[in-house]
Amino acid sequence: MELWVGALNLGFLYAFVAFGIYITFRIHDFPDITVDGTFTTGAAVTSVLVVAGTHPLLAVLASFVACMAAGSITALINTRLNVNSLLAGILVMTGLYSINLHIMGRSNIPLLNTSEFFTLLNRANPGLPHEPWTAICLTLIMAASWLAVSFFFKTDLGLSMRASGNNPIMARAAGINVDRVKIFGVALANGLVGISGSLVAQYQGFADIGMGIGTVVTGLASVIIGESILKKHSIYAWIASAVIGSVIFRFMIAIALYAGMDPVDLKLLTAIFVLVTLIVTAKIAKGAGKVKRKHLVTAMAAAAIIFGIFAGVKYGNLTAFIPQKKVKIGIFQVSDNPILNITRDAFLDEMKRLGYVEGKNATFLVENANGDIATVNAIVDKFLRDKVDILVPISTACTQAASRKVKDRPVVFATVANPFVIEVGKTDTDHLPNVTGVYGAVPMDRTMEIVTKILPGPIKIGAIWDPSQANSEVNVNSLKKALQNYPDVTFVGGNVSNSSEVYQVAASLVQRDIDAFVLPTDNIVYSAFDSVVKASRNRKVPIIFNDVDHPEGGALVVFGYTYVTSGKQAANLVDRILKGEKPASIPFERYREIVLGINLKVAEELGLAIPRELLEKATVIIDESGTRQKSGGTSSREGTPLPAKRLALFQFTDNVILDICAEGVLDGLKKSGVLDRQNIAIDHKMAHGDFPTAQSIAQEMVSKNYDYIVTVSTVSLQVTVNHNKKIPHVFAAVTDPLKAGVAKSFTDHPANLTGLATPQPVESTVRLMRKVFPKARVIGMIWNPAEVNSEICTVITREAAKKYGFKVVEVQITGTQEIDQALQSVLGDKPDIFFTSGDTTVSSVIPSLAQKLRQKRIPYVTNTPADIDSGAFICLGADYYDVGLKTADIAIRIINGEKPAAMPIVSYVPEQLTLNLSLAKEFGITIPDDLIRKAARVVK
Amino acid sequence: MIRISDYHKTFNAGTLNEVYALRGINLRIQEGEFLTIIGTNGSGKSTLLNAIAGTFQPDRGTIAIGGKDMAGKADFQRARFISRVFQNPFMGTAPDMTIAENIHLAFMRGKPRHLIPGLTRERRDLYREEVRMLEMQLEDRLGNTIGTLSGGQRQALTLLMAVMNEPKVLLLDEHTAALDPKSAAQVVALTERFVARYGLTTVMITHSMQQALALGTRTILMHKGQVIEEIAGKDKSLLTTTDLLDRFADLRKQEKLTAEMIEEMRREYL
Ligand SMILES: Nc1ncnc2c1ncn2[C@@H]1O[C@H](COP(=O)(O)OP(=O)(O)O)[C@@H](O)[C@H]1O
Ligand SMILES: [Mg+2]
Repeated sequence: MELWVGALNLGFLYAFVAFGIYITFRIHDFPDITVDGTFTTGAAVTSVLVVAGTHPLLAVLASFVACMAAGSITALINTRLNVNSLLAGILVMTGLYSINLHIMGRSNIPLLNTSEFFTLLNRANPGLPHEPWTAICLTLIMAASWLAVSFFFKTDLGLSMRASGNNPIMARAAGINVDRVKIFGVALANGLVGISGSLVAQYQGFADIGMGIGTVVTGLASVIIGESILKKHSIYAWIASAVIGSVIFRFMIAIALYAGMDPVDLKLLTAIFVLVTLIVTAKIAKGAGKVKRKHLVTAMAAAAIIFGIFAGVKYGNLTAFIPQKKVKIGIFQVSDNPILNITRDAFLDEMKRLGYVEGKNATFLVENANGDIATVNAIVDKFLRDKVDILVPISTACTQAASRKVKDRPVVFATVANPFVIEVGKTDTDHLPNVTGVYGAVPMDRTMEIVTKILPGPIKIGAIWDPSQANSEVNVNSLKKALQNYPDVTFVGGNVSNSSEVYQVAASLVQRDIDAFVLPTDNIVYSAFDSVVKASRNRKVPIIFNDVDHPEGGALVVFGYTYVTSGKQAANLVDRILKGEKPASIPFERYREIVLGINLKVAEELGLAIPRELLEKATVIIDESGTRQKSGGTSSREGTPLPAKRLALFQFTDNVILDICAEGVLDGLKKSGVLDRQNIAIDHKMAHGDFPTAQSIAQEMVSKNYDYIVTVSTVSLQVTVNHNKKIPHVFAAVTDPLKAGVAKSFTDHPANLTGLATPQPVESTVRLMRKVFPKARVIGMIWNPAEVNSEICTVITREAAKKYGFKVVEVQITGTQEIDQALQSVLGDKPDIFFTSGDTTVSSVIPSLAQKLRQKRIPYVTNTPADIDSGAFICLGADYYDVGLKTADIAIRIINGEKPAAMPIVSYVPEQLTLNLSLAKEFGITIPDDLIRKAARVVK
Repeated sequence: MIRISDYHKTFNAGTLNEVYALRGINLRIQEGEFLTIIGTNGSGKSTLLNAIAGTFQPDRGTIAIGGKDMAGKADFQRARFISRVFQNPFMGTAPDMTIAENIHLAFMRGKPRHLIPGLTRERRDLYREEVRMLEMQLEDRLGNTIGTLSGGQRQALTLLMAVMNEPKVLLLDEHTAALDPKSAAQVVALTERFVARYGLTTVMITHSMQQALALGTRTILMHKGQVIEEIAGKDKSLLTTTDLLDRFADLRKQEKLTAEMIEEMRREYL
């Protein structure tokens, strides 16, 4: 829900971008790229003002004016200096980058604890949830803006703007100063984009220097979508189409995310979509208006098809949406008995849920041997003739037949007690290459535990089975084995060969004075269970059985697996194989859900008391009146069904430090075993550095109701905090959570939030430099002021340098392409040491930088221990893998029930020293022995 | 009304594409006079009209209109008192805007354009009456976009938009050349009516010898950026096209025209 309402809200907020793009691209035919810069300018101006206490609406107005100014500069450059409009836009956009940084003073300003526009809206909230209320307000604001913009284009000024774009020659002849109108139009467009930037910053809770990237393309996509959907009879329809396009575009992204698409591909698809549409519109630009619309629709369709094919190829879970080759799946069971039927039905249901629809993209051939082994083989032959892609044998007999005959295609078995006795494998992982599946036998030792709890003392138990079935043999043997631990339990067995014999055998066992039936899994007994019940009632003999799907069937206790699990798990294995995994690499799976059901009505009839301990453990209880109760009992150990839970690991961008940290989190969680114990699945989410995507991911996590969230990086923390007020959230890889605006202090933070602060050990590093280089004077640094982290580190370096008698020579850059030049400039000041700390821009080129410094014989010091392998001289830094592990520990505490509210944020810098002695030798520098001893790693 | 003295214009000076388009034009046009211009392709007729309208500034020479020197005045500034109709019916109107909006734009010529919806119901009624005069059944289609009209309808509308504010000067550049004969005749008739009604000072380029002789008070012949001949006086309308060709033969004797040029004129105009 949050995801969709959020998409609607984002669509509204970005609609102002669409207005702007509509004015520049459609009215003035002026491809204006300035908007990539002005979007950020809007956010920057607003955030600075709002933090300073200005009224949010005034801040929006200020953003509007500032961005109009920026836009008018682009248009002036174009009209007065005759510079091509694209180039003019690029020039101003580039310039704005610096200006935006100056406005903000740093690269990221949090707005979480300030009174911004949406907080203001919320004051008038009559009690609705936050997002829907915002949606209602935005709908009204949007309607007003739509009317206002449409009205503008009806005024004399608006008419002259439209005429200037539509036919400049005619406009000039009508006495319109076309250049001036164009300047005004482009300025107005940028002003509107600025409003968008301003509102988005307030909505997402921060302004960031990088948030404007791609504005022009998304805006254009919105306009194009809107145009192709709405007929444009009037200016009102034109403007409405921009809003609708913007909303649809955001929905498309939300759908793609929801379907599990990697956001990194969204950019490419958006670009292709816009490109295709542009080509088609350019081709028919000479054509009449009507033709245009038709072609736009064609372009949309073409783009949608490209999108679909691409997604379908890359993401199997979108396969349901596109036409494709049908898969043929052959399912067969040995007989018509309840366990197997349940398995089959659950399998078919789960396949449908996974998107395999009969007749559309899948064909299911379902067969039943009706108890005849010869027929089983015939069914396998038939499947091979019918060229099925996968065989799904249900039951041991079918599995045996299939595994023997089929070698060239996958076989996925279900409801098999022990696949090892039929030699389809030696262990879960070492098995026939084309066979995998789901198995499990009721643990008879635990069954006996239950039996002896109810009937303590020496007892005699009876069992019935069909010795011709391998499966039953396995189960009976496992019961006999379990009985070795119960010397005062005597065992009596009775064999059957078909269901009509069951009553007689059961009656005979009752006759032999057994105290209870303990029935191992057996297909014949299953289908004739009523006979056992009937035979047992005269003598009030309790039955312990394993048909957990029918606890009211007459047994006192049912204990075992629900075969729904078996079918479901098998379907998921089939799905994995259809998506390309090899059966050889898929281990056999055991059933996941075990059920203990107790029938109190039967207990009453038999005059038996059930120990409280068992009642507490039971997952299903049939009460005295015979109705099913859901028991509150949860079992302590493996096997009892736990609801599946999900943990989202949310990383903002791909860089070494964050990757390592995320890896640490994953490893920590996996090794602890908590995932298996608590049945938790992890989704690793990645925004690839894109802000709107990060936004949508945060909304998605909330709307999909994840149970736990772990964020890696400052931006993912900020975005998530803004949307999520409930789900427990642990953050990592954040230098300063207080500066990021998510907490007031380490103990005063949102109730659902805690985490790790990991400042770079900058001061220790500078102290270390003094120790290793007693005579050094100048430290050289290159850093990118757009990175918050880098800025914090640089500031600390300056202070520490003063303290230890160094001078810092710095050069600022905005991207890796400027590093070479920056280095030349730094070298001009003859640094004794070169230092990089917390700067991801520079970090990405450390090997080449280290190489160049080596030629100049300048030792290179960094704050990332792994850099030692890239040619650095000394590294002292946080071990981010360790940070990840520590984060996992915090997450585990929360999973185990601790409340984040009571857990202070921890500052954690696991210092790790690495040294390069071969470089030391080369430079003729001696490194103190105690340091060498302290180092975690030394390159010789 | 219009006084052009020693006007020179070169395009793309100093490049391979250099064109010396106007080579010292001297021309006087009286108030209320209706001047027609003929000449071969590329002789500079349209350029002369552009010079009057102020599309560019001269290399040398001056233009004065109504006694005021036009130096430094851009086209949109002169548009207050100069109206133009082009050959291409697509050029005079904004295709994606409605008839009413187009007329309103022309009406607002020379007036400040504010942030108010000037196209009121009263104005619309007024425009409807104007459009009715065109006799093109457009009066009920004020809300339709120009894109849905035929070339003749567009050109008639452009003409209306050009004259409705009673400009000092009306410039017509082969404004019927792209129309079918029937529409062309309609537009010519409208032109005569409007010029007569408002007494406009008019300069018209034409591709038709008949039009040149039948319309207007004076005809000039342009060649290679110069005015080489002038036909005026009462007997102008009595001349036939053969008379005109005789005049060209005379020009040839004076070596102002070559034989090929005459041949070209004959081809273009007869
Ligand atoms: N804006 C311009 N740039 C370059 N050359 C031009 C321009 N306008 C006209 N010319 C050239 O000037 C010459 C006269 O053109 P024009 O006045 O259009 O001739 P016509 O008498 O056929 O109307 C032609 O050679 C034309 O190519
Ligand atoms: Mg011409």
